[in-house]
Amino acid sequence: MVLCGVAITGFTVTVICDIVTRMLGRPWLWLQEVTMTFFIYGVFIGTAAATRRNDHLYLAALAEAMTGRRRLAFEVFNRLVVLAVAGCMIWYGYLNFLDGFRSLRMPSMTPLASLYAAIPLCGILVALFTIEQLVNGWKHGFAEPG
Amino acid sequence: MANGALIFLMAFLFLFLGYLGVPVAFALIAGVLVVTSFTPVGLPSIMTQMFNGIDVEALLAVPFFLLVGELMTAANVTARMITLSQALIGHVRGGLAQVVTVFSMFFAGISGSSAADVAVLSRSLGPDMKREGYNPAFIAALIASASTMANLIPPSIMAVVYGATGNVSIGGLFLGGVVPGLVVGIGLMIYSHFFGPIGVMRRRSSFGEVGEAMKGAAVPLVIPVIIMGGILSGFFTPTEAGVVAVAYILFVAIPLLNRGYLRRLPHDMAMTGLLYSIPLITIAAASAFGWMLAYLRGPAVVSGWITSAAGNDPFMVMLLLVGLFIIVGDFIDAIPAIIIFMPIIVDLTQATSINPVHMGVVIIVTLAFGLITPPYGIALLMASKFIGVRFGQAMFASFPIYIVFFAAILFTIFFPEIVLWLPKHLLPESVGCFRNPSGPGYICP
Repeated sequence: MVLCGVAITGFTVTVICDIVTRMLGRPWLWLQEVTMTFFIYGVFIGTAAATRRNDHLYLAALAEAMTGRRRLAFEVFNRLVVLAVAGCMIWYGYLNFLDGFRSLRMPSMTPLASLYAAIPLCGILVALFTIEQLVNGWKHGFAEPG
Repeated sequence: MANGALIFLMAFLFLFLGYLGVPVAFALIAGVLVVTSFTPVGLPSIMTQMFNGIDVEALLAVPFFLLVGELMTAANVTARMITLSQALIGHVRGGLAQVVTVFSMFFAGISGSSAADVAVLSRSLGPDMKREGYNPAFIAALIASASTMANLIPPSIMAVVYGATGNVSIGGLFLGGVVPGLVVGIGLMIYSHFFGPIGVMRRRSSFGEVGEAMKGAAVPLVIPVIIMGGILSGFFTPTEAGVVAVAYILFVAIPLLNRGYLRRLPHDMAMTGLLYSIPLITIAAASAFGWMLAYLRGPAVVSGWITSAAGNDPFMVMLLLVGLFIIVGDFIDAIPAIIIFMPIIVDLTQATSINPVHMGVVIIVTLAFGLITPPYGIALLMASKFIGVRFGQAMFASFPIYIVFFAAILFTIFFPEIVLWLPKHLLPESVGCFRNPSGPGYICP
């Protein structure tokens, strides 16, 4: 949550600085890169936080209408799907991250991998939070989506 | 496996997992990853597609418009706009029902999302309406329907996403949404007047009282002027207009109207930081889904069906697309729907020479309608939850209101010259006009 706040504050400040420096006739070109870095990391870290808080967009949870063992089975299955997707985000995101060293961001010439790293990072956090939910849910029951 | 079977498998996995309770973004990614493993495409490239989906500067406007709505709501500035709405329309038959619609029109000019609108209306006017004897199902249906205007009247997050992914002028879409937004608003007012409960009508406010209410609401009502003024003057991009509106609220509106709120600001910034990630990760996932769909030639097949049924008649094409999007909007959220189906929309827009802004407005109005249709009418789901009424009852109460939306959609399709009048006059380049090389003014196609 705190990191989400840092990200949104970060890119709000950099966009304001971008407008001000442009108005002064001395635009700082690198500000747009910093803005996009805050933005992209904010999205992926926020995704992990939303997973922990059950705040994602849901279509309709059939599991919500159930009780007892059947409910438990659905909730566990749903989280295993999320865990599997998180696993793919970690592994394939890592491969994508390595590939990102071959492309550079302009004008700083930083490898694109610096942004691609957000995907496996998100995967790790989502996996950890999902395991936490599975353990807590197994012991105390699952919380309803927010 | 044949392309058709893969498309079916991908859509089935998404809907099956989604309706089982897996978050939409993860259900989309799961469907794409499974299907990709049957194709020569490398799985890491799906991660690149997800990344590319959100690495778009224009999408930065999404968190800013969410932040504007969140700050205005949390700082309780909206009470002043409700007072103004009551002073303007509280004496008309329907009472608070009319106030809900007028307030939604004002609030739509500040917030770009229906969710914020539903939350504000349910918390602020919902209890009063219940006290005055309105049927809770009617309250939920009306609030949900009125909240859809947030996607039509600028700024609109749907328009930002549509413009950013479809390479259509966001300013043009903002302006094009004004007329359908007003049609929905006026339609809801007519419905409440003739078919809704009589309600408790207040005495007509004097000019002095209306003036006082306007003075009170002046600070928040400057926000739409900042946003649209900045965009129309060409001084700001929609993203920059969003951030300037945020700065205005932080440095002018809140210190003037609710100084005590500043203590809660860090918490609300963090909350908005979390909230904006939810639609954006869905955009990332839907981009990968849409890319795979395009790889499997899904858009070409669907647009082939539509053009073979409709020929080159733009109105027929739009009617068929509206039919498709009414069905799609019943089952999935508007933002992934826009991104997944964008290649089809682009194909058909080019094939039939429809103005891209006109097509965008038609699609946005249709998807806004999807926010109140079952089973996935998210605005109606939220409103029924907040008001404390069963979704089924709210759904039945909303059925007659569908007529208003059908009228708005048909109006948007068949009267492009009225819908595009504002963009043509205020932002001519957005609808394909260009400067007259041999004189003043613009030449429009």
